[in-house]
Amino acid sequence: MVETHYVPFLPWSLSWLAPFVGALIIAVAWMLKVKDERVYGYTSVLSILVSAIVSSYAAANVLSKGPLYAGRDLTWVSWLGISLGTYYDGLSALMAVVVSWVSLLIAVYSVKYMEGDWGYGRYFFFFTFFVGSMMLLVLADNLILLFIGWEGTGLCSYALIGHWYTDEEDKWVGRPGRRVLGYPMYFEPSHSGVRAILFTRIGDLGFLVGIAVLYMVAGTFNIVALTSAAPEWLSSLASKGILSATLLILTLGALAKSAQFPFHEWLVTAMTGPTPISALIHAATMVKAGIYLFLRLTPILLAGAFALTTTNSYTLVSAQLQEYFTIVAYIGAFTAFMLASMALVSDELKLILAYSTASQIGYMFLGASASGLLLGMVAEGVVSGFSHLVSHAIFKAALFLVAGWLIHVAHSRFIDPMGGYARHMRLTALALWLAGLSLAGVPPLSGFFSKEMVIHMAYTADPLLAVAAVITAVLTAAYTLRVVVRVLHTPPYSGAGKSLHAGEAPPTMLLPYLALALASVAIGLSWPTISKVYSRMSELTLAVGSPVEAHVELSGLTLVTILVILVTVVAVAILYSILGARPYALAQKAPFDKLYNFLYDRWYGNPIIYMVFLGGGVRATGFLKEADMGIDYFYHSLTPKAGSLGAWILRSLHRGRTEYYIALYLISVAVIILVLLLTR
Amino acid sequence: MEVLMAPVLWATVVLPTLLAIAFQILGFRSRQSIRVLAYVSALILLAPVLLIAYYLGYRRVGALVDPLVLDLSAYNIGSIGLVLDGLSAPIAVGISLVTALVSVYNVKYMEHRIGELHSEGVRVPGLNAYFILYNAFSSSMLGMAYSSNLVGFFVFLELSLITSFLLIAFYGYGDRLRIALMYFIWTHVGGALFLAGILYYGVNVGSFDILVVDTMEYNRAMARVGIEGLAVLAPLFIILGLLVKMAVFGVHMWLPYAHAEAPTPISALLSPNLIGVAGYALARFSPTMFPQFVADIRDILVFLAFVTIVYGGFVALRENDFKRFLAYSSISQMGYILLGVATLTGFGVAGAMLHYLSHAIGKAVLFMVAGVFITEMGGLRNMMLMGGLARAYPTIAAVSLIGFMHLVGMPPSLGMWSEILILLGIIRGYNPGTPLTLITIALLVIVAFMVTATYSFIAMRRIFFGPLRQGKAFEGGEVMDEFKVTILIIAVSGVIAFLAVELLLEPLRTSVSPLLELVGGG
Repeated sequence: MVETHYVPFLPWSLSWLAPFVGALIIAVAWMLKVKDERVYGYTSVLSILVSAIVSSYAAANVLSKGPLYAGRDLTWVSWLGISLGTYYDGLSALMAVVVSWVSLLIAVYSVKYMEGDWGYGRYFFFFTFFVGSMMLLVLADNLILLFIGWEGTGLCSYALIGHWYTDEEDKWVGRPGRRVLGYPMYFEPSHSGVRAILFTRIGDLGFLVGIAVLYMVAGTFNIVALTSAAPEWLSSLASKGILSATLLILTLGALAKSAQFPFHEWLVTAMTGPTPISALIHAATMVKAGIYLFLRLTPILLAGAFALTTTNSYTLVSAQLQEYFTIVAYIGAFTAFMLASMALVSDELKLILAYSTASQIGYMFLGASASGLLLGMVAEGVVSGFSHLVSHAIFKAALFLVAGWLIHVAHSRFIDPMGGYARHMRLTALALWLAGLSLAGVPPLSGFFSKEMVIHMAYTADPLLAVAAVITAVLTAAYTLRVVVRVLHTPPYSGAGKSLHAGEAPPTMLLPYLALALASVAIGLSWPTISKVYSRMSELTLAVGSPVEAHVELSGLTLVTILVILVTVVAVAILYSILGARPYALAQKAPFDKLYNFLYDRWYGNPIIYMVFLGGGVRATGFLKEADMGIDYFYHSLTPKAGSLGAWILRSLHRGRTEYYIALYLISVAVIILVLLLTR
Repeated sequence: MEVLMAPVLWATVVLPTLLAIAFQILGFRSRQSIRVLAYVSALILLAPVLLIAYYLGYRRVGALVDPLVLDLSAYNIGSIGLVLDGLSAPIAVGISLVTALVSVYNVKYMEHRIGELHSEGVRVPGLNAYFILYNAFSSSMLGMAYSSNLVGFFVFLELSLITSFLLIAFYGYGDRLRIALMYFIWTHVGGALFLAGILYYGVNVGSFDILVVDTMEYNRAMARVGIEGLAVLAPLFIILGLLVKMAVFGVHMWLPYAHAEAPTPISALLSPNLIGVAGYALARFSPTMFPQFVADIRDILVFLAFVTIVYGGFVALRENDFKRFLAYSSISQMGYILLGVATLTGFGVAGAMLHYLSHAIGKAVLFMVAGVFITEMGGLRNMMLMGGLARAYPTIAAVSLIGFMHLVGMPPSLGMWSEILILLGIIRGYNPGTPLTLITIALLVIVAFMVTATYSFIAMRRIFFGPLRQGKAFEGGEVMDEFKVTILIIAVSGVIAFLAVELLLEPLRTSVSPLLELVGGG
């Protein structure tokens, strides 16, 4: 058992506090209408730099000494037992390092990229707030603090996806005018922002219900306390039969944030934001939040179950846990495959990368949940998920930042007008190749090692899942190479004249993505060392237990995977560059056109969701609006009319006719006598 | 408990109105003196915030009692005293904060409105008279929050109704006389039902005290009043009366008219402050006066709350008039307050009280924003004609987002805490023991809370985003006068309340356990 070190709130909490302070300064400057762009950009970069330094220092301390716990006694809300605690263990400390450094590079890139933008201040406010929220989410010692960071990322993604809210057509995503089943398949920035926040909020509410149930059973929101009390609350929930339901409701949050099926739709239209924001959302924040939560949770659940091995409740708990992990694993595998298939045919650069993100995160869920299926190999599962998270953060940030430059050069978000850039920008081409090959899973880049670990975990748990993972790996290699080769080496399909001014990006934009691409290589080449870090990390992570060797075994499966990936890479490259293939022509012909449209229109997921929920919602509002008018009519038309009618009847009895009065008198007396008789 | 040295609570109830009357009598009618009146009234109205922060929040005093107590025991009425405890603190803060800042906001808005009416050839009482009514209205709401006695509560309630009725009738929009009358009649239907109910209790107990001022304990004699046979009508009338005031689904018909057509500063008080007080009253009275009865109808109330949230939200989605949209949103928000109270748990009730405050902040901000467009964009209210306004009003767009976040329950707004507490209340109250109950609860919560998020973010888009449709973009040209700064201050207070929630939550925690003693919650 590794000892936890209690440290003061400051400076250790600066890792999440500094970006929030930066955001506050930016907000005040914005309110004071400061015109100088540097104030915003530099404040943001500087505050994220502080965060990166503090978290790196903390991570170094964690790896050498053990977990650090800051601000445990700094109570914020005593009724709910919530403190402003910052908890660095293996998982959170390394995650914080990745998030902060990748965000820093993106921030540096943004300073130049956003130059002259009319929303410069607003951009950096939300950017910095975004990083702060993500860091808080990662380092929070309790679920409420984590939820605050969680919601913060949701808010900032909403604002940044809709950054260009005046909705000019060049900021849209999707082909303008394209409709499926009557629903548009193109989205304006302000529309995409609303989609992002509403889709993810469904999950957020599930998450909230889940933690409320946990709180009622365990009596705490504190993650460390929840870990030690896990056997009790697991068996309590399992005895009622609500363990898997609770966990699934809670995991809705993670699935929605990480854009897993059926929530993936928000992420693909999130491409309306400025490109560095796509890099931020996909690489460092937001979508990584979901998988991070899952990585945080998995060992706690499994360690809790192991502690019950000798008790009666073990069978119940383990059965319900397996149920839960099976569902998550299949969702992960399905998402990985589904989104990869969409990426094969897409013709928008950022969209392809977006599909790829959801697909790769599917891998991470698959890797981590495999240990749940096995009810064992916890460390291996967590390390496989986490190492792929890191690889992905690095190569995906590089890819998006390169994409930002290419889109700028081509004046188009589509890949058809792009092509032949390798001659004009060699360093950018190098970055794109390296990051692309890492995504494709080609050895010895980092993406290869981490993906292999996931596939290996999947194979151990359920060969069917491994098959899905390998097929997805082939698709990934294919769509990645298609983009790399077409953009860099083949002539553009259309609008060739526009790329004449192509050249390298300015240094502050070039260096961040070059550094990230080289990091992919460095991590891959130094895998023996890196795997030791991961191993040490797993040892220092809450409830994970024994360390593992995070190396890749050269099994038959690995060899097969390497082989099919390499064949795909070479084949696609030759197909496009040397043979000059243009599959578009093929996609026009039956029966390929149906398949092409099916994939291009994202398996018709969006129209189906819109038809059921939006269509149903619109009908419901229409119906209720009518009902409301009915209620209004009842109160404000019928009731007064009934009143006037009653008044008219009463008035007509009092017109001075004696016989009426006598009749009324007799009737009244009769009624009174009757009542008296009956009630005696 | 602590008895204040001076009758400060009475002062906040009486002084603002007296001041406005004095200005009227002395003939201080220049724009400058009206501004002085507005600012001084604001300062007096703000006093409860400071009292609560210091005594209840910081010093953890259980309750504050005003030394001036009107002893009417001889008439079997009890003691009319003014008190503040953890339960009423969020209510008092909400009323105090909003009425104080709207007081300053009034000046520009009402100058514009009265000018508009004059140009239509309508003669209405001037700004001075407006302030007499406004201050009386504000103070009467504070009085309701302070009341320890049912008669006191009812008197303040009546005062608030009469003053707001006059404000709508004089300065409202559209068919204001008819709407004011409609408002008056329906709220009095609620008021009469409530009165009939409390009379039964008061006469049977021989006192109308809810809290005994000397000890600040609940008057347990209330709960001992038998309610069998026809007497069951008494609690039913009280609940019905309060539900009409809250405008929950089915008896909400009066609200969209009144809140949409009242002059906007009054809408900003009516919508979040006044109707929510009925929710507070429900929380204060029902578990202590008729615990068994309210426990028996808990499920019905919870169901009604969900229906109200979804119904109000769905109809709001169809509204094109900004103020009517906000009015339906208020109906939906009352569902949240009812939901929290109806769980009859400490978390739920505390969440409902906090939600009163978050709704007060959020909805006041949004109504005040509507007022900005009405005064500065030629009476613009139609959301179909809005769009892209963030370009012309960046700060207003930012504060509106904060306003909506309070309704949705997103951090860093106070709404997050109320949302979490209400949810904890539901889970504790229903303690899901089977997958079916758990999934049902989760679905209800997700649907209800999603409706709020949906109309909020869609409205944000309709109003502020997309191409600019009306007026010209004048980037950096948005003038932040005191009129708009007041909105910013309210919005920022919501964020401060989020951070400093402990100051409200600890007093709430101590006060919910005696409150819910008889229903087994807490």
